[in-house]
Amino acid sequence: MNRARLASVLLGIGFGFLLSWAHFVDPDQIRRMLLLQEPYMWEFFAAAVAVGFVGIRLMRRARVRSLLTGEPVRWSVAKPERRHVVGATIFGVGWAVSDVCPGPVAAQIGQGIVWSLPLITGVAIGVALHFRREEGPAPAREPESRGPAPLKAGTLLPASSAD
Amino acid sequence: MSHTLLQRPAWYVIGPLMGLIVIAAFALLNERVGVIGGFSDVVERLTGRRSVLGWKAWFVFGIVGGALVFRLLAGGATVRHGHHFSWLTRELSGGSGGLVAGGVLLVAGVLIGFGSKTASGCTSGNGLGGCSTGSPGSLVATGTFMAVAIAVSFLIRAVT
Repeated sequence: MNRARLASVLLGIGFGFLLSWAHFVDPDQIRRMLLLQEPYMWEFFAAAVAVGFVGIRLMRRARVRSLLTGEPVRWSVAKPERRHVVGATIFGVGWAVSDVCPGPVAAQIGQGIVWSLPLITGVAIGVALHFRREEGPAPAREPESRGPAPLKAGTLLPASSAD
Repeated sequence: MSHTLLQRPAWYVIGPLMGLIVIAAFALLNERVGVIGGFSDVVERLTGRRSVLGWKAWFVFGIVGGALVFRLLAGGATVRHGHHFSWLTRELSGGSGGLVAGGVLLVAGVLIGFGSKTASGCTSGNGLGGCSTGSPGSLVATGTFMAVAIAVSFLIRAVT
């Protein structure tokens, strides 16, 4: 396992552990959040974003280089587009019905929650439908374009989906 | 140890720890965290759209592993409603209700996957990562899915 994969797995372990510890995997707790009955999840989310927001700016200002890629810490931002509103609306309905979002569903699988199996299957189908729709009626597979996923210049990092 | 873990910590402890994951993803990989991108990597790999799993797929494998580690250390899951899962399974219990609840969860999953992929991010990608970078698109998406989820939750409560 290369270092980038190892780092990704370790970050995920931390993320999954914290989601579990915060009970973010408990649908009843998400429901209380969405019914505005309990501030805990809102406070948790706001604190996480505040720390992230300040922390990455401090790193950028100090011209910190990313440990594994060697590049200066930087990011790109997206202008609001129609897809942000349309996609988020569809996602919001699914979130409210199930009281689960993609991170917690992965953590629920790790905790051995059987109810999460139809949910995670649905998420995979939804992602596949997105590709089908985006690629239109033309054949989805273009064998000639298959090759190693493009690596970022000078890095070990296998490029990931943008989301 | 296990007793401590099954109690959720104060928000001002766990929130900043989660923020540190966002920071660590930049410090190590120069990347924005995102979970639906990991699901997408796996789907793309299985359907022949990519030949190598991206880093987010490994991140998601880590989430599964981290939750398993948590369960082993805590001595129990943090979804503990007997054989129930949520309002949905309680509402649809008895007879073929479980099957119907599973079907509704499958459809909800499709909406989650399709919607978050269309919006280029879920609660982690747009919510945690995107809001931390201050991306206007992510801020709009986050405001939208939160508002919609709140509205739909109140609607569900009103009709059940």
